[in-house]
Amino acid sequence: MRRRARVALIGEVTGFSRSKAQAYFELRDSEGAVPCTIWLNELEKLGLPEQGLRDGTEVVISGGPDYYRGSAHSSASFSFRATHIRLAGEGDLLARLEALRKQLKAEGLFELQGQLRRPVLPKTIGVVTAESGAARRDLLAGLERRGWAGTVVWAFAPVQDRHAAPAITAAIQDLAAQPQVEAIVVTRGGGSLADLWAFCDETLCRTVAMLRVPVVSAVGHERDSTLIDDVAAVACSTPTHAAEAAVPLDCGTARLGLERSVAVLSRAANGAVRARTPHLVALARGPARALRRERLALNQKTREIRAASERGIAERLGFQRRLAGVVLERAARRAAGAEMERRRVALHRAEVALRAHEPERTLERGYALVEDRQGEPVTDVGTASAAERVRLRFADGTVGAKIEESQ
Amino acid sequence: MSEKPESYEAAVERLEQIIDRLDSGQAGLRETLELCGEGRDLVTYCTAELDAVGEGLKELRLDEIATKLASSAEPA
Repeated sequence: MRRRARVALIGEVTGFSRSKAQAYFELRDSEGAVPCTIWLNELEKLGLPEQGLRDGTEVVISGGPDYYRGSAHSSASFSFRATHIRLAGEGDLLARLEALRKQLKAEGLFELQGQLRRPVLPKTIGVVTAESGAARRDLLAGLERRGWAGTVVWAFAPVQDRHAAPAITAAIQDLAAQPQVEAIVVTRGGGSLADLWAFCDETLCRTVAMLRVPVVSAVGHERDSTLIDDVAAVACSTPTHAAEAAVPLDCGTARLGLERSVAVLSRAANGAVRARTPHLVALARGPARALRRERLALNQKTREIRAASERGIAERLGFQRRLAGVVLERAARRAAGAEMERRRVALHRAEVALRAHEPERTLERGYALVEDRQGEPVTDVGTASAAERVRLRFADGTVGAKIEESQ
Repeated sequence: MSEKPESYEAAVERLEQIIDRLDSGQAGLRETLELCGEGRDLVTYCTAELDAVGEGLKELRLDEIATKLASSAEPA
């Protein structure tokens, strides 16, 4: 049976399931169905897209009849063993797309754009789209919602016909050649895979991948997956999202953030000074206080020194006085002894001399001293005669006498 | 400002670093005042960048730019 001719069948996949070694499904058309199997290792070699063999997918399978004789626990069965499967119609396109996707991925072209730095606030962005499409309007609305009003360089290009891919590729290259363009958006609305096929073009995708300007793709809707989405820096589902990806910064929010930053900076600067002011004031007062303290201490020392000095002078003076007194006393004592002796001798001599002249001494020798009544000495006759009465003073006393005659 | 920031995002990143440092309370007076000065310069830069994309959308056509460039390149 396995030697029978190989044939190709067309139909829709239904009831797709897998075991450890095989995949099972029915190939159904309007007239009936054929049970089919394919070894998993052969299925994997085909490189079909993931989920490509899901229920409802139209496929072309090649193979021939096969028989499973069963076992103790399983029934025998006939089936169509497929050795090759490809997607029919759009399935063909998808198959080619997946093959190209694998190839570009294997070449590392999916990572290049992702490694580029995307400015958060580009001043100029380039946009490749259809001049009359809704995508243009949606993109502008998205940019406006961002609060962004920079410069948009439009590169209008057909986005659907057979001229689209080269035109889009040229537009992307021209935009990237403008030094002011910081990001490029490639966008168009949704459509069938055939409509979007230009965005799966190999040359276009290779161009995007190798570009040094980040590309934001927004082609089709969320369910559409074009190859440009894989090579672009960012893939978006709508032009509105593309606007947000091209200008990651929300300008309104950013301005609020800056205002908050200004407030924080002002608070920090003022707070830093204010917090340190008391300390600074204390520090500023420090020298004056220290100076005053030192001055007081200096004055105190000065007073102490003066007092000590005066006390010292007084003590020294007293000491010197005492010393001088002692010295003088001793000198006086020494001097006084000799002087006294000399004086004593002189006095004695004077006394002797005086005594020799004293009237008493004369009177003691028998003389008498004539005095008048007032005790004045009477030394001549005339005075005696005039006095008439005199006193005679002897050594041992006085007697009165009367002048009787004169001669 | 000692030097112009490399980009808006670089300026914002540095500004966030400055604010984190100030919020930590570990900066001394001199550093605080220097950081505040640098931060204000960064805010001025960022504001200017925002102003540059806030004064009204300008739309150019690439084909017009190309034509203009071609005509200016032609010898008089």
